[in-house]
Amino acid sequence: MARPSDETASSDIETQLYAKRQKIYPREVHGLFAWLRTAAVLALLGLFYIVPWLRWDGRQAVLFDLPGRKFYLFGLTIWPQDFIYLSALLIIAAMSLFFFTALAGRLWCGYACPQTVWTEVFLWIERKIEGSRSQQMKRDKAPLNASKFAVKATKHAVWIVFSLWTGFTFVGFFTPILELGAKLLTFSTGPWETFWVLFYGFATYGNAGWLREQVCIYMCPYARFQSAMVDSNTLVISYDTARGEPRGPRRRGLDPSEKGLGHCIDCSICVQVCPTGIDIRDGLQYQCIGCAACIDGCDDVMQKMNYPKGLIRYTTQNALAGGETKILRPRVIIYAAILLVALSAVFYGLLTRDPIGLDVIRDRNALYRETSDGWIENVYTLKILNMEEIPRVFDVDIAGIEDARLVEDEDGVVVGGGEVVSYVVRVQVDPDEMSRQSTDFEFSVKARDDDSRVAVESARFVGPRWMGES
Amino acid sequence: MPTPLTQRITAVLWPSFLMAGLATVVFFAVFDPYDLVAPTWFPNLSRLGAYSIGFFLFWLLTASSCLLTCYFQRPVNRVNRLPGRDKE
Ligand code: SF4
Ligand code: SF4
Repeated sequence: MARPSDETASSDIETQLYAKRQKIYPREVHGLFAWLRTAAVLALLGLFYIVPWLRWDGRQAVLFDLPGRKFYLFGLTIWPQDFIYLSALLIIAAMSLFFFTALAGRLWCGYACPQTVWTEVFLWIERKIEGSRSQQMKRDKAPLNASKFAVKATKHAVWIVFSLWTGFTFVGFFTPILELGAKLLTFSTGPWETFWVLFYGFATYGNAGWLREQVCIYMCPYARFQSAMVDSNTLVISYDTARGEPRGPRRRGLDPSEKGLGHCIDCSICVQVCPTGIDIRDGLQYQCIGCAACIDGCDDVMQKMNYPKGLIRYTTQNALAGGETKILRPRVIIYAAILLVALSAVFYGLLTRDPIGLDVIRDRNALYRETSDGWIENVYTLKILNMEEIPRVFDVDIAGIEDARLVEDEDGVVVGGGEVVSYVVRVQVDPDEMSRQSTDFEFSVKARDDDSRVAVESARFVGPRWMGES
Repeated sequence: MPTPLTQRITAVLWPSFLMAGLATVVFFAVFDPYDLVAPTWFPNLSRLGAYSIGFFLFWLLTASSCLLTCYFQRPVNRVNRLPGRDKE
């Protein structure tokens, strides 16, 4: 049996802490880390909003052309056949995340996560329109009147316009953005394009405008398993308890040791600037996204008090306990090694990638056909893929099936640069020559002007049951 | 323990969204909708449309499974409680 009193007590706390979400008004900070974060936000958002407009060789430089089933990355074209690279990229992304987390905690969350980056922009817009933290809190407490309504409406209007632009840019990574823009100007975007612009726009507005830190706390899988990657040698943002405590207010210029105080003046600036509304002085917490706003906030206070900076700082548990910090430890080395191997594998693979692709698809409607002269015929569709930018003529051949006839409608297949061509061919055999009902053989395509451009693919020839029974 | 509504909703919609996205990518990297049912059943459907419908079908599937997980996760002593006995 559970002890009911305990359960109720803890559930009360939970209710207080979580069930009613208090709106958090992060106070604006200035300082080294705020500057770094702004730089990261500008760089990342700049990339996001500008990259789809870049051109390369007369096409969009970066385009994940879903309708065309090709990904363009500047000079590189990725095909569905290159799916393995996508998996490798995922491994690389995961390993980088592990690596950097092991080194310095939630760098990703604090500086690079889209959730952080877009929230920063939304907060910035909010501050420009609604004013400082205290002005916002005062307005939210006041009853609704015309001026409050006007301020709120303006803020949401700006947020929505920005979100829609974000949604448009997002879809512009997947369908050519110039065409999309032109269609948008005449309100003639396709239903699915419109839908995804609205969907992504709405997600941006909801996540960065309304949910904010709740995304980090409830939705982010990374936040949940970060503790698995962090150890006592990891740089994390911590409050130096030994130096700060006992905390307490005091006059400026007073020697804290006279009053028996530590360096923390209990001004609660670190709590006010925190975007997730926690108190870093309670120790490392799951909610802390490592944004370093509290470092900037506290350093400012320390400077005003003429105390040394760094009461809250990037440090390791070992260093706080007076020990040494070891940077090169097994976990860091292992993550780095896997990262290096995966990266080199991708580069090697892309450099030595087979430039010709061949897929063989059997005709689905009929297993086989009988020709007028009594031979058995199978129909195949060849999908020939030319990954290079030069058009080529390919010759088709078969091997591994004796005395078969290959019937083509044309003499050679022309495949343009970066194109796939479907080409129907027929293979005919004399049933009396066949010893089995089904025979495996191979198709090959070879470029007429370059013997090294070949692709081979196996196929199966199927005849009637009686074939080979004689 | 009262779980916040936001957390309950995201626990169903969000993991399923992620998995549906992953499933869509893997599925359509292997199968081209033009080679599948599209030309015979929905001749006017664009590839983008096929991907989108595929995504939402996957999402429906994964969200139902998340919903069931959450449903079965409720502490057993709260299920089928007799009237009058729900005070602790
Ligand atoms: S900002 Fe620094 S001095 Fe002020 S309460 Fe926080 S830790 Fe103490
Ligand atoms: S505790 Fe400090 S680093 Fe952590 S989220 Fe709050 S302000 Fe950012």
